[in-house]
Amino acid sequence: MYKLIRDVITGEVNVVNKQEGNRLLSIPFDPANTDYQEYLKWLAEGNTPEPADEV
Amino acid sequence: MSELNVNAITDASGGNTTQINGATPTNDNLMGRNRIINGAMEIAQRGTSAVSTSASFPVDRFNFYEDVTSATATGQQSTDAPAGFKNSLVYTVGTGASPGAANYAGIQQRIEGYNIADFGFGTSDAKTFTLSFWVKSSVTGTFGVGFRNGSGTRSYIASYTINSTNTWEYKTITIAGDTSGTWLNDTSTGISCFFDLGVGSTYSTTAGSWQAGSLFGLTGGAKLSSTSGATWYITGVQLEAGVGTSFERRLYPQELALCQRYYQLIASGSPKTICNVAYYSASAIYGNLPLPVEMRSVPSIDQTTGTSYYVSYSAATGDFFNSLTVGSPSTKRAVEFYNGTEISGTSGNAAFVRTNNANAYLALTAEL
Repeated sequence: MYKLIRDVITGEVNVVNKQEGNRLLSIPFDPANTDYQEYLKWLAEGNTPEPADEV
Repeated sequence: MSELNVNAITDASGGNTTQINGATPTNDNLMGRNRIINGAMEIAQRGTSAVSTSASFPVDRFNFYEDVTSATATGQQSTDAPAGFKNSLVYTVGTGASPGAANYAGIQQRIEGYNIADFGFGTSDAKTFTLSFWVKSSVTGTFGVGFRNGSGTRSYIASYTINSTNTWEYKTITIAGDTSGTWLNDTSTGISCFFDLGVGSTYSTTAGSWQAGSLFGLTGGAKLSSTSGATWYITGVQLEAGVGTSFERRLYPQELALCQRYYQLIASGSPKTICNVAYYSASAIYGNLPLPVEMRSVPSIDQTTGTSYYVSYSAATGDFFNSLTVGSPSTKRAVEFYNGTEISGTSGNAAFVRTNNANAYLALTAEL
């Protein structure tokens, strides 16, 4: 499951974490990152990530 | 001892095919000619245990695929290798089953576009290229190996024959480059090379010509995945412009550095160091790690998580937490780590972060 992450300093949401069992992928919003490309594809399929926590 | 001082060495007719120790020196067969990374299967940063999850990496840069319904298989680094090699990659079928139409099983390497830019694919200047490798299989027959562009709109299937069971055989396949289609020459996938061990009909075609579509299996070819207990080993994989040459040897640290553009293991087991950090506040730590090799993209952090898997030491006190998040200012050359949800310390303190569990594992990934 994907969960958006808010940066403590900037307050911006530009990272998404993907938890699968005890494995966690922490994914930056970089268009060349294939984990991020996979996340965008997942979004395009109509899925919604967990929202980011408030700072 | 003699000394030779000449301005040029040509063949007997004045041409440029003079050989030295059996090889004709050209721009294509000097160092850097092998576009496959880790072709000798020596680098296995993720470990040497067998993998069974499709798309995982039994050795660096080589994906294992097993998507055949009702079949099982593993991929693993092996020490069974032909003379001159130390390692191979072995694909072992557990329970065999014939691939359904949309199933696929095999081994693949995606090559970054920068590394085949000179091939000129998609233009009238497309170069001929050669794939060579050592292979050993418990199943004989005609196997397929597929080449595709990054978007999967152009494909070529080649075939090779395994003549004898459980015997190392050397194969060389030379193919005219594709003059059509769009072939990326940047940080995206330039070309992928897929060894068909069980590709279904949806993705299969006949050998010998460039075709539109995403095709990587050989119609009518041998399908290893169908045979329970079958094994298929490969090493010495080389893809180069022009005709085939002997396997290009690179020093271990050179090959490791090439692999680290796509994956960098930082820490495995405990206690292992990760990076220095500072307490930005009482509830947030930030640290950064300069990377020894620039990665292909800004990397993801690939880690195991669990209660107190990681610890931040400061002022003789351990501050335990479960995971690290990648900071958005991270680049391809340095990664920022932070945790802003599980931290309890003193704002302004300096600290260092270690793993704190034998199962803790943290790496950076920028795979294609």
